[in-house]
Amino acid sequence: MREAHLSRSSVRWFPRWTTVAAVLLFLVPAFDALAGVLVAPPVVILSDKGRTGRITVQNTATTPREVTINFAFGLPESDSLGNVSVLLQDSAITDPFSCVGWVKAFPRRLILQPNSQQVVRFVAKPPKDLANGEYWSRVVVQSKESEAAVPTSDPEQAITAKINMIMQTAIMLKYRQGDVFARLELQDTQVEDHDSTVQVMLDLKSQGTASYIGVLHCRLRDANGKLVGSDNLQLAVYRHLRRRFVFPVVGEDFVKPYQVEVEITSKGRTDIDARDMIYGNDIDYSMLVE
Amino acid sequence: MQRATRKGLSRLLVGLLAVAVLSIPTATNAQDVANGQASATVLAILAVAATTGLDFGNVYQGVPVTAAKDNSTTGTAAGVFTITGAASADIAVYMQMPEYLATTSGDDRMVISFNSTDAAFDTTGNVDPAAFATGVADVDPYNWGAAATNVGSTGTSAIFLGGAVLPSVNQTAGAYSGDIIVTVSYIGT
Repeated sequence: MREAHLSRSSVRWFPRWTTVAAVLLFLVPAFDALAGVLVAPPVVILSDKGRTGRITVQNTATTPREVTINFAFGLPESDSLGNVSVLLQDSAITDPFSCVGWVKAFPRRLILQPNSQQVVRFVAKPPKDLANGEYWSRVVVQSKESEAAVPTSDPEQAITAKINMIMQTAIMLKYRQGDVFARLELQDTQVEDHDSTVQVMLDLKSQGTASYIGVLHCRLRDANGKLVGSDNLQLAVYRHLRRRFVFPVVGEDFVKPYQVEVEITSKGRTDIDARDMIYGNDIDYSMLVE
Repeated sequence: MQRATRKGLSRLLVGLLAVAVLSIPTATNAQDVANGQASATVLAILAVAATTGLDFGNVYQGVPVTAAKDNSTTGTAAGVFTITGAASADIAVYMQMPEYLATTSGDDRMVISFNSTDAAFDTTGNVDPAAFATGVADVDPYNWGAAATNVGSTGTSAIFLGGAVLPSVNQTAGAYSGDIIVTVSYIGT
């Protein structure tokens, strides 16, 4: 009966936020030893059908924390060696798929008392005639001691130095306009055989109108089909991404020719709510290396 | 039957939530405890915390002080940041370091410096700088590059940070402070 009075968006949001609150509440003791500010979930999805969203911020420290919410633009980008980094840009953003300028947070600044939590809400106000696609921003949650002790000089030593440790968590916010789809292309696979390692370099390119989120499995088998090494990672491809895997091999036990297997799927992500996923294509690829 | 089971689970979850909400001071509102189906998704949390501040101890005019990242220098303490997230999740770390510390009035500054090996990244869950276990032993705090690509199998990693302050011979007596900002983000979402 009560559900009947809730708006459609409220009903849609309820289950995941009940779970968010439950996870946060029951994980507090576990994180107490590493007290800080927790942010959940790790990704916020808005769309033209639901322009509001929210995160929960919780202070597990024993002292108050001053929390500030800002927006920046930063996609995972890789270098020629397959190292991935995220550089945040908070001004002069020219990327056409940035939504930094038209997403607002409420509140933007708050004081969190010890063991308290606060919901931060987001509202998107996209420009008119926004083209279909997915638009991105990073939500930067900054926390620091709200009553940082002002250092006072000791008459005997004359000089004191205090470093304020400021923490920032940057989570992804995505706004989806219209119907979007995810599609990934494995553009190139390079395998290098070194003395004691086999290195696999993968070039991936997003061909959809939404980012490709999934899981990448990479396996190395020798000529007998024996599994020599395997690794997997959570994958997010916004445009182009290069990832590298390094498998150690033992000379005598490693029988050539060997085979590299690559499996990519957008299924199996347990950290993102299924309703927020845009499921794309699967990739199965194997390569025989003489 | 399945619906009844779900409803029962939902009620159990709501009951647990209600107890938890009543037991600690939180700002959870009524809508958050409304009835409904519980999602089975395991929601990941990402957090970075400063557990120990970088401490240079006693500083005297004209005498540089170095705080080692492994706490090997007496009278100083390494800075310790802990990162908590989904086990084995890939992350990116970025640090903004100060070039100097300033008095609260801003009338004098003291140089602070960090070299290319002043940080370490421990992926085992160890938070003791003196007991570095496994990870990347030498990291340039200005350029993390590929150093921190994984939060570790325990879901907790630690950054140990050293540095040095270089007071001049005529450094004004007083209290100096500066900010170090550590930014952490998932790269797989």
